[in-house]
Amino acid sequence: MTVDGWFYAGLVVGLASTIICVVAAVTKKKPNDITLLSLAGVELFVIVYAVASLVRLTSGEHLTGAGWEFWGYMFTAAALPVAGFYWAMMERTFWSNYVMGAVGVTVVVMLARMAQIWYGVGTAAAHLQPGIGQ
Amino acid sequence: MKNSLSNSNDDAAAPAAGRTTGAGRLLITVYGIFAISATARAGFQIATAFNDAPVAYLLSAFAAVVYIVATISLARPGHKWAVAATVAICIELAGVLVVGLLSVLDAAAFPHSTVWSMFGQGYGYVPLILPLVGLWWLYRHRAAADK
Repeated sequence: MTVDGWFYAGLVVGLASTIICVVAAVTKKKPNDITLLSLAGVELFVIVYAVASLVRLTSGEHLTGAGWEFWGYMFTAAALPVAGFYWAMMERTFWSNYVMGAVGVTVVVMLARMAQIWYGVGTAAAHLQPGIGQ
Repeated sequence: MKNSLSNSNDDAAAPAAGRTTGAGRLLITVYGIFAISATARAGFQIATAFNDAPVAYLLSAFAAVVYIVATISLARPGHKWAVAATVAICIELAGVLVVGLLSVLDAAAFPHSTVWSMFGQGYGYVPLILPLVGLWWLYRHRAAADK
C-alpha cells in the first residue's frame, strides 16, 4: 500500500485526538476544551484534505479506484467528528470522551482506505479487499 | 438537546446504570460505525459487481441490516428494544462464527470477502469481539430492562 504525506499527517492528527480523548476518559474527565479541540482538529484535517484532493484532481492527478467511492469515504470521514460530537454532548460524562476517541482512529482507517483508492492496493493488502476497488 | 439535558439529571447520579447510557453509548458508537461501513461496503459491492458473487454480496447486505438493527435497538430504552438487540446480536454472533468457519474450511467457496469472512480479519477481528461485548452488556443490564 502506498501512502503519502497526507496519510501520515492524518495519522498523527487522528491518533493524537484518540489518545487525548482516551487519556481524558481514563482519568474520568468530562469533555473539555482540549478533547473538543482535538476532535475539531480531525474535522479541520478532513476538510483541508478534501479541498486539497479536489485541487490535485482538477490539476491533472487521477485516482486509481472509483471516484465516488473516494468521495463517499471523504464525506463520511467529514461527518464522523460532527456525529461523534453530537452523540458525545447528548450525555456529558467521561464516557463521552471514549465516544469522541473512537472518531479519530476510525478516520485514520478511512484515510488508509482512501490512500488505497488513490494509489491502488498493493499485493500485501489485496487479499483483504477482493471485489472492492482495484 | 432539550430532552437529553432533562434526562441527564437522572443519569448524573449513576452514569453507568442504564443500558443506553455511559459505556452503552460507546458500544452504540462502535455498532453505528460498523452499520455505516457494512452498509457502504454492501452497497458498493452490489452496485458495481453484483454478478461476480451474488451470495457473498447478499450476505454483506444481510450483515449490514443486522448491524443497523443492533445499533438502533441498543440505542432505544425499554424491554422490547433490549430483546430486539439481543436477537440481532445473537444473529450477528452466529453469522460471524458460521461465515468465519466456512471461509476458513472452504476458502474456495468464499473467494469474495464479506465483513464476517475469516472471523472479521479485515476489520481487526472487531466483528468477532463486538457481539460478545454486546451480549455481555445486555446481560449485565437485563434487570434494568425488565423494569
